[in-house]
Amino acid sequence: MIWLAILGSALATYLVRSLPFAVTFRGHLPAAASRYLEALPVAIIAALVGPAVVAPGGTLTRGSEPLAAALVIAVVAWRRSLLAGVIAGVVAVALLRLI
Amino acid sequence: MGTTVVVGTTFGVVARQSGLDPLAIAAMSVFVFAGASQFAMVQLFSDRAPTAIVIASVLFINLRHLLMATSLRARLQALPLLGRLVAAFFLTDESFAMATGHFRRGGRSLAYYFMFAVSLYVLWNLATLTGIAIGGALGDPRRYGVDFAITATFTGIVVLAIRRRADIVIALVAAIIAGLLALAGASTVAVITAGALAPLIAVFVRR
Repeated sequence: MIWLAILGSALATYLVRSLPFAVTFRGHLPAAASRYLEALPVAIIAALVGPAVVAPGGTLTRGSEPLAAALVIAVVAWRRSLLAGVIAGVVAVALLRLI
Repeated sequence: MGTTVVVGTTFGVVARQSGLDPLAIAAMSVFVFAGASQFAMVQLFSDRAPTAIVIASVLFINLRHLLMATSLRARLQALPLLGRLVAAFFLTDESFAMATGHFRRGGRSLAYYFMFAVSLYVLWNLATLTGIAIGGALGDPRRYGVDFAITATFTGIVVLAIRRRADIVIALVAAIIAGLLALAGASTVAVITAGALAPLIAVFVRR
């Protein structure tokens, strides 16, 4: 199952990378479609955060994850560093779970 | 390139910590070669999402490559079809950003694009293997909060991707819809539903 998912994901990724190189099409995407496509990655990745913050592992959070996520947002917005944010978040969640 | 090493190692660590087969983790970096989608796959695998949902989510995350490839097409037109198809495999956010800068500065060399893009690929895979080794040596992830690393990574990626006010609204709406759906018990379709709905805001908002 997991191998099928990896194979399918590899094909899907290659398809969107290669399609514009392989086929020639005239004209442009409508502006609305471009805006939709540009917003898509942020939306999907944010959608992954939602469930992981409110119900990590499928059970309702006791508050550690939302607080740690808020800290990650603050640290990354301030330092512009993904690594600094991840370290801050992991340390915060480990400490908060001790309480 | 530094980012590639850091994110690739993080990917190896969190994927290994989530209990995935090391061979499958390495295969993701070799064949899929797309940072955010590989993290998403790890999350979806640990949520036991159906195969079709995993593939559809990856497709959605990577749809932006259609736009990038389209904008690079004219530059790579000099290559034969086979060359373009090889170049396409190495197209990532980072190689796209580099290529765009290179061509804007008046550069014409395609060898430069290939060298940069292939180096990223090699680094990404070496970093993944390093992460797999580290992740295997760490022990119980929950004890150190390492299970939260993937959520923290996604949160950070979203913050860094914010370009304008509408992005903040889209990200919040997507996270809230997905969170509510997950709480309602629809966790397998939560991500793809919220991820597909929230960008509609961008359609109605003018820059």
